[in-house]
Amino acid sequence: MLQVALAQVKQHARRFIAVALAVVMAVGFLTATLMVNASTEASLGNSVGAGFRNADLVLSSGPDKPLDEQAAEAVADADGVAEVYVQQQTHVAFGTAGEAGYGALQNTAPSAGLDNLELIEGALPGSGEVAVDDATAERLALTVGSKLEFAPGAGMAAAEDVAASGIPATVSAIVKASKDPLMMGQPQFFGTSGFIAALADEQAPVQVRSIQLDLAAGTDTAAAKDAVAAALTAAGFAESTVNTAAEQTKEVVAGFTGGTDQLTIVLLAFALVAVLVSALVVANTFSVLIAQRTRELALLRCIGAGRGQIRRSVLVEALLVGVVASVIGVLGAVGLMAGIIAVLQGRPDTEFAALAVPPLAVAVGLVTGVVMTVLAALAPARAATTVAPLAALRPAEDVRVGNRKGKVRLGFGIALVVGGAVVLGLGALNANLLIALPGGAMSFIGLLLCATLFVPPLVTAVGALARPLGVPGKLAAVNAVRNPGRTSATATALLIGVTLVVMMMTGAQTARTAFESELSAQYPVDISIGNLAEDGGQLDEAAAETALTYDGVAAAGLITTGGYATVNGQRTGVYQLTPAQRELLQDQSLTLDADTVLLAEGSGLDTLTVTGSSGSKEFQVVEVSSFSFPPLMSSAVAEEIGVPAPAAADSEEYFSALPQLWLSVDRDLDATALMELRSELAAGLNVQDYQISGAAIERAAFNQIIDVLLLVVTGLLAVAVLIALVGVANTLSLSVLERTQESSLLRALGLTRNQLRGMLALEAVLIAGVAALIGSGLGSLYGRLGAQSALGTFTAVVPDVPWLQLAAVLAVAVVAGLLASVMPARRAARLSPVEGLATV
Amino acid sequence: MTTSTEQSLASGAPNGSGNSTAAAATQALNKTYGTGDTRVHALKNVDVAFQSGKFTAIMGPSGSGKSTLMHCLAGLDTADSGKIWIGGTEITALNDNQLTKLRRERVGFVFQAFNLVSTLTAEQNITLPIALAGGTVDKEWFRYVTSTLGLADRLTHRPHELSGGQQQRVAVARALLTRPDVIFGDEPTGNLDSKVGAEVLSLLRRSATEMGQSIIMVTHDPVAASYADRVVLMNDGALVGELERPGTEQILAALAKLGA
Ligand SMILES: Nc1ncnc2c1ncn2[C@@H]1O[C@H](COP(=O)(O)OP(=O)(O)OP(=O)(O)O)[C@@H](O)[C@H]1O
Ligand SMILES: [Mg+2]
Repeated sequence: MLQVALAQVKQHARRFIAVALAVVMAVGFLTATLMVNASTEASLGNSVGAGFRNADLVLSSGPDKPLDEQAAEAVADADGVAEVYVQQQTHVAFGTAGEAGYGALQNTAPSAGLDNLELIEGALPGSGEVAVDDATAERLALTVGSKLEFAPGAGMAAAEDVAASGIPATVSAIVKASKDPLMMGQPQFFGTSGFIAALADEQAPVQVRSIQLDLAAGTDTAAAKDAVAAALTAAGFAESTVNTAAEQTKEVVAGFTGGTDQLTIVLLAFALVAVLVSALVVANTFSVLIAQRTRELALLRCIGAGRGQIRRSVLVEALLVGVVASVIGVLGAVGLMAGIIAVLQGRPDTEFAALAVPPLAVAVGLVTGVVMTVLAALAPARAATTVAPLAALRPAEDVRVGNRKGKVRLGFGIALVVGGAVVLGLGALNANLLIALPGGAMSFIGLLLCATLFVPPLVTAVGALARPLGVPGKLAAVNAVRNPGRTSATATALLIGVTLVVMMMTGAQTARTAFESELSAQYPVDISIGNLAEDGGQLDEAAAETALTYDGVAAAGLITTGGYATVNGQRTGVYQLTPAQRELLQDQSLTLDADTVLLAEGSGLDTLTVTGSSGSKEFQVVEVSSFSFPPLMSSAVAEEIGVPAPAAADSEEYFSALPQLWLSVDRDLDATALMELRSELAAGLNVQDYQISGAAIERAAFNQIIDVLLLVVTGLLAVAVLIALVGVANTLSLSVLERTQESSLLRALGLTRNQLRGMLALEAVLIAGVAALIGSGLGSLYGRLGAQSALGTFTAVVPDVPWLQLAAVLAVAVVAGLLASVMPARRAARLSPVEGLATV
Repeated sequence: MTTSTEQSLASGAPNGSGNSTAAAATQALNKTYGTGDTRVHALKNVDVAFQSGKFTAIMGPSGSGKSTLMHCLAGLDTADSGKIWIGGTEITALNDNQLTKLRRERVGFVFQAFNLVSTLTAEQNITLPIALAGGTVDKEWFRYVTSTLGLADRLTHRPHELSGGQQQRVAVARALLTRPDVIFGDEPTGNLDSKVGAEVLSLLRRSATEMGQSIIMVTHDPVAASYADRVVLMNDGALVGELERPGTEQILAALAKLGA
């Protein structure tokens, strides 16, 4: 039977390509994910470890007591220690004839065994000499023998003075720039310990970075480590750590990244989705392949193949495809990462990037790919064994799926949907994401299990829309649900990705809206500019007009004091708002009539008496749920009680009665544009940046974060969507193979090539479109409930559907469906009518 | 269209009516399959004309090129050289789209098997070529054809709910409905028992006689061929003779001579 399986794979290699492609993508994604973490660590290790890469043991300071010469002396006598290098660093100013600047100065190791420098030319510096890194040497045109002057880094008012009064040194060597993070990106100098000591002062003291030890040959590292630790403790440095270079790198990297593990977990979750989708595609493709081979399998049974043999034959096929695809996937992932790393290495900031291919990542990728493929083929393999020998003698009609198993699955699915929905609802009601998440997952899995219940009817319903397109349209609609199980499985694979994408979009949009309503409550207007200009002058109408001239400013209004009152025991100006200026308010539901005054939250007042120049009036207080809201009344009332003169500069209310400039900006300004606008305004109006605040600026910053997150998440989910589309193309091309005769008949009867192509395209679009439609609906619902669960405790969540993005998702699905149909349709159309009719 | 070819062939048409346009005709038609050792000369310089309004049968041993000739005539396949006319239009010069249009408007087919689209009802199958052409069905003609064929109460059935004979009759109805220049049948009764086969054949016979429908049918069955006005004999890719309104005996004798 192995022969049969091999022959299958060899002869129908093309049919297995799509299976393999799906597996390759999932395995590649998974492996790359696992490599990201290792490569990040390796890259950082490459950088972090640069300063102590040759040490046998590295001592670093404890939290309270920095290491010093005393510690070095203490460990020098420990058993096994051959050499001690107290690595010191300080910040120095340097000058040459033409140039000056600041850089890092590090001492060199006392012995070659601990030396970390990579000499390009020259010799290690002795007294009165320094080594300089190649980048700096090139920039300053330094060669071995050049002269430099040095001074303590923080002591000099200007680097230029260094050249006149510094300590001279001769360049003895050019070395490769260190990738040590504390050295990188600045001029690097290396000199003797004495040279460093001479250059240190109180403001830029010598820092002991570490103490590095070289052990005598043949010393047991663990024993030496213990001895050194004991010596340190005895000397009073109990909290200092002793590590091997590798351990030290790991420890420092862990301190640096802290979060990469979490990143890996998040990435793994996406990889898992991709693997799941790919398993679905594989399972579906195999069942189609089995269905098409019913006659052949029956023939094998007729001539005496047992059920077990048939099943094994199918599983061997799966194993073959799984192994080949997984290997390709892993290789692809390594290639991709190598490419990315190579690009990073080419850039000065990240040249320390290093590729790490952890055996675990390779193993996990391979095992997952193979196991997934074989598991996915289990059900189709079982279906293959149910083929009766007699089927070989019957006309090849579609074999219907066994009913009992289907019912069990449906029952299980419905139970999951109902149970999950209840839990999800509870989570949303209580605004508890931890309850909602499993509920959502449960109900979604349930829905996927009963996809056969709603996918085919929906495809039929939507297919009715294609009727006006004539025969090809009608046929496409019918063909799309010809095999409901197959259609459901194909659509389901796509459904998963789309639902998750849309869920993220809706969640993001809802969070955005919720945040915006919070913001509009916090800030009265898009942008407000308050306080005095830099020259001490007040903002005036001219400033408002200037502001209006900037791109992006939609409206501007200067609001001024219309009376005075006492709020929270403080005299303050009450600003007057003209009806035109009311348009500037974020919260357009706020109204100002003759009897009300708006006050920020927390005044504790019911009424407020405002005094004008010609009288005073008692107002009803309406509190606004914002802390930064100035007292406001309508300009008409202000006229009534008389607009008073501006407050005197020495009065209590002076600063709370200064005119403010309120702006509204175009809604579509992005964060960058807003930040630019802010600095332009600051310059143009002669105020400081911090005086310009408001909802728009916070909104932009927040939106930018959401957008980036959404982009990343969508990108990650795109892998799953792509795999699903491979599934669509695959199902279609296999169906096309099955329908060769029918296609030929239609061609003979007068269906043009283009109509045939169109028909298949329509079929693919129908399946992809309906999957996207269902996914969008489900995703919106889940996103909405998810947002409610996550944000419900902070703010009132109002459902908000990102229609534009939904439309984009649908459009992408339709286009992708079209693309998926290109290959199968081309093959179908290439066939001449006679050829098709001949393959009886 | 009157061409020199047709005139030369018309003389070979024993049934008179030499001035009527041929339903289909070929001139010096050649067709080969494969290359080198496996090269097969399926059609060798075939010159033939099929009269309008007549029922012609093509006979010959297996592998003699009958199906190939018919596929070329119907515009389903392309010849290597030579010319083909359908109802006066030279189709050898047409591109794929034009050929497709010609097929759905001017040619009808009845195959041996796989005649119907399984997802469509009998009625939809019958009107399929017209639907493809975006035309409107002549209701009266439709009723006449379907009732003549005894399909009136089977129109909403799908192919798998019809017997083999009924399926073939649906195919015949589909071919007749467009009143094509010519109907091609490749062993249309090959899968039917003799009673149902006779039913379909007499139907074809009647549509030629009563409706003036041109029909070209490939068959191995002398009984089937005896329904035809004329039997064209093929052997080894070439025309080797013809019989006018032959009886079954006559046909058997002619075939025996070919060694079939
Ligand atoms: N697609 C093809 N490729 C190669 N050779 C072919 C092809 N189709 C037909 N032939 C060859 O062309 C010759 C004529 O075939 P054709 O099908 O026309 O015969 P036929 O008269 O219809 O036979 P039958 O009565 O068995 O149907 C045969 O020798 C056949 O082997
Ligand atoms: Mg034949």
